[in-house]
Amino acid sequence: MAEAHVIGQIVGATGFSENSLFCKWGVHTGAAWKLLSGIREGQTQVDTPQIGDMAYWSHPIDLHFATKGLQGWPRLHLQVWSQDSFGRCQLAGYGFCHVPSSPGTHKLDCPTWRPLGSWREQLARAFVGGGPQLLHGDTIYSGADRYRLHTAAGGTVHLELGLLLRHFDRYGVEC
Amino acid sequence: MAAAGPSVFLLMVNGQVESAQFPEYDDLYCKYCFVYGQDWAPTAGLEEGISQITSKSQDVRQALVWNFPIDVTFKSTNPYGWPQIVLSVYGPDVFGNDVVRGYGAVHVPFSPGRHKRTIPMFVPESASTLQKFTSWFMGRRPEYTDPKVVAQGEGREGENTETEIPRVARLWLCPAQLTLFCPQ
Repeated sequence: MAEAHVIGQIVGATGFSENSLFCKWGVHTGAAWKLLSGIREGQTQVDTPQIGDMAYWSHPIDLHFATKGLQGWPRLHLQVWSQDSFGRCQLAGYGFCHVPSSPGTHKLDCPTWRPLGSWREQLARAFVGGGPQLLHGDTIYSGADRYRLHTAAGGTVHLELGLLLRHFDRYGVEC
Repeated sequence: MAAAGPSVFLLMVNGQVESAQFPEYDDLYCKYCFVYGQDWAPTAGLEEGISQITSKSQDVRQALVWNFPIDVTFKSTNPYGWPQIVLSVYGPDVFGNDVVRGYGAVHVPFSPGRHKRTIPMFVPESASTLQKFTSWFMGRRPEYTDPKVVAQGEGREGENTETEIPRVARLWLCPAQLTLFCPQ
């Protein structure tokens, strides 16, 4: 079986209008992939930048996959939330990016989006907070039912991921 | 075909904690330690260290320079748990107590060569305004009992941290793999 190690960090996020952000992340793979070690999903701490725009999480990611096929190459999906001083959480953006396929270290910038509701919901969000969220998390990384959504842009999540591959050449795959 | 046994490889890391930028604080020292998985073990060198106390330079750069050497070799059979270096920076507050000024962590780079890493540093935030005042007054800021938690992903929900930018520590890391694990 070919093996892949994804080792890196969710560095932080910029461009969000809210302060005090945290990120829930997860990795989705196809059926041929098996997670040998590591945690497939997690949540970062809440970070409040005092000066400047970027919220830093430096959240480590260390995953070890074994695979029998290329289909379902791992995808990292992210949900950025903001927390206010009362402790309430509001969605700031959804985003996903594929894990790179060439070995080495890569800097990734993942843009995010958030669903817009009706004008009433947008007004309510501006005053009271809250706002629409996705019912099914897999819409974040799949294109299937996206045409139903009307969304607005959020900020960008910055990641640094390193990839180490092993035994892919035995299966005739050039990476 | 005979199956290959687990292959041991060595990872040698040379480098230094070069400097930091903390605009509001002075007279700082840093501690580093390595966090790694179960399959890893240090074979040579020091995996922890405390630097000297440094003051800001008087010139325009306002640099806090440590130039603190890092020299350690790890051995492992598995890249899972690749070592991370955790830095904690401490300095005196207004009353002279030693308080934490920032924590940061980064993975050791994978490829041989000279790598410069700039690490953002964050501090845990007090839970309430009253606690912020009390901790400022008493000199007991919230800090982690074990700085190694900074390198772990689990259990971070519910933590609040604040980062004041720029608060960064610059590291030079030069890893060399004595047995290449992934020739592709």
